[in-house]
Amino acid sequence: MPEAVDGYCLSAAGLTKRFGGFHALRDVDIAVREGSIHAVIGPNGAGKTTLFNLLSGVMAPDSGEIRFRDRPLGRLRPHGRAALGIARTFQNIRLFGHMTVLENVMLGEHWRIYPSLWRSFLKAAWHRPFGEAPEETEMRRRALETLEFVGLAEKRHAMATDLPYGEQRLLELGRALAMEPGLLLLDEPAAGMNIRETEDLDALICRVRDRGVTVVLVEHDMNLVMGISDWITVLNFGDKIAEGHPSEVQRDPAVIEAYLGEEETL
Amino acid sequence: MIDEYIRSVLIFAGIHVIAAYSFYVPFKTGQISLGQAGFMGVGAYAAGIVTAKLGLPFPLGLLFGGVVAGLVGIGVGFPALRIRGIYLLLLTLGFAEIVQVVILTWDYTGGAQGFQNIPFLEDALVWIYGIIALLVVFFARLERSSLGRAMDAVHEDETAAEVMGVDVVRIKLFAFGLGAFIAGLAGALFAHYSTYVDSVTFNILVGVEILMFVLVGGGFSYWGPLFGAMFLSLLPEFLRALRDPMELIPLSWTEHAPWNQIYDAVYEFLDFENEKRLIVYGLVLILMMVLRPQGLITRSTIRPFQLVQRRMHNA
Repeated sequence: MPEAVDGYCLSAAGLTKRFGGFHALRDVDIAVREGSIHAVIGPNGAGKTTLFNLLSGVMAPDSGEIRFRDRPLGRLRPHGRAALGIARTFQNIRLFGHMTVLENVMLGEHWRIYPSLWRSFLKAAWHRPFGEAPEETEMRRRALETLEFVGLAEKRHAMATDLPYGEQRLLELGRALAMEPGLLLLDEPAAGMNIRETEDLDALICRVRDRGVTVVLVEHDMNLVMGISDWITVLNFGDKIAEGHPSEVQRDPAVIEAYLGEEETL
Repeated sequence: MIDEYIRSVLIFAGIHVIAAYSFYVPFKTGQISLGQAGFMGVGAYAAGIVTAKLGLPFPLGLLFGGVVAGLVGIGVGFPALRIRGIYLLLLTLGFAEIVQVVILTWDYTGGAQGFQNIPFLEDALVWIYGIIALLVVFFARLERSSLGRAMDAVHEDETAAEVMGVDVVRIKLFAFGLGAFIAGLAGALFAHYSTYVDSVTFNILVGVEILMFVLVGGGFSYWGPLFGAMFLSLLPEFLRALRDPMELIPLSWTEHAPWNQIYDAVYEFLDFENEKRLIVYGLVLILMMVLRPQGLITRSTIRPFQLVQRRMHNA
């Protein structure tokens, strides 16, 4: 994959999304450096998940433009963005519960092996009489590698939704990694994890970055965010109120007010 | 070789199996269609035109029936992309109704008098079970292929599947079209066995019956439609056969009321013609929805076999 000339993997300008009269996002700019870990934080309802939905193509913005490695994404649908190398996970885990752990990850490889539906149909219908297509064997091997990477290889034959919560999050991450993305959007990957699991996740995200994957992460766990992020964008009520290095953001008065202000209302 | 009656029972059961598979394909991507009978009608008439009107051989008619139904299916599939659940049911129901009206008013194929003199297919049994065998092999492979997994994923969560790179629109259209193609084959086979079809042959109730085959058999495994269609089609025959042992009950046991009345009622009930069959279907369906809503055969039913298979591929 070619890297963007300006060193930005993803950039969005003037993103706005309204639901009725409610501004979920208002004129937000964001630029993510190639190879960095970029966190998006903010109180509940700040528009973080909406931002992810716009970036991954699940929703269309009312206005604004998103570019991935210098290519404007326009109204490209999610599967097209996946083919370009954008993968994501979901805040409310969305694994395929009828499938095994291994099958979930194998699905992540689908578009890479079979860019055309027609070929995948022929492959399913027509290969040597017994056993399975060689592509299938190859997919299984690679899926197993991915599972080893996230540490779930031993559970490969378990049904996805039988895993404990923290492992389901890891599986979602693994499924997204199987797409070999250039950009990985993680929506609250540590939600529901205990401290030890969060520490492991911390290390895992860094290893993902070291593989050359740019990571954007929405997270509530401030220890995790401050520890691993190269850059932080802060949203509040749909507006971008601050951005910068973790140390700067921590001292930013607007950020402190947004978080303390929320606490006062509790 | 086989008794003519048993042969005809097996042929209709086989056509039901193919029709059930035509429902199963779109269902695999989460689309529920009550219009499969409509596609059967399209296939029956298209095939009939090729053989009866143009005088071409049956295989061409069969293929043409399937392809025309498949193309119509893709056409119906486009509006079906946007809607789901109960609304999709209504759309497909409407489609089946349109097919009926078109058949009724189209004079070229006999209109209200029905399509007569369709050539009789001598080895219908071989054709039908040959096609079923091909379908089973195909679905067994689909189950273990990337495409099959993608279809299951779309059934379960369209958004997640799309984010994983699955082209949901194309895969749903493909599934709808393939389902219609298979229904077209079933219709063509039906037409060339009964040699006569008309507008009520493929009515709404046929579509409901097809839906029931899959609901009873189980829609999450490719054995489900086969089993469900066979089970419900042969059930009346089995029940009728139950009367033979009944006749062995000593007369003295059932001489007096209420035993004689119960005996007569049961004996009567086990004699099947069409309306009673629907009553039993209804009872079976109610029982199923209460006791086993996922169908008789589910993924966990076949999982032990899959594990054996997997071990054979040592993965």
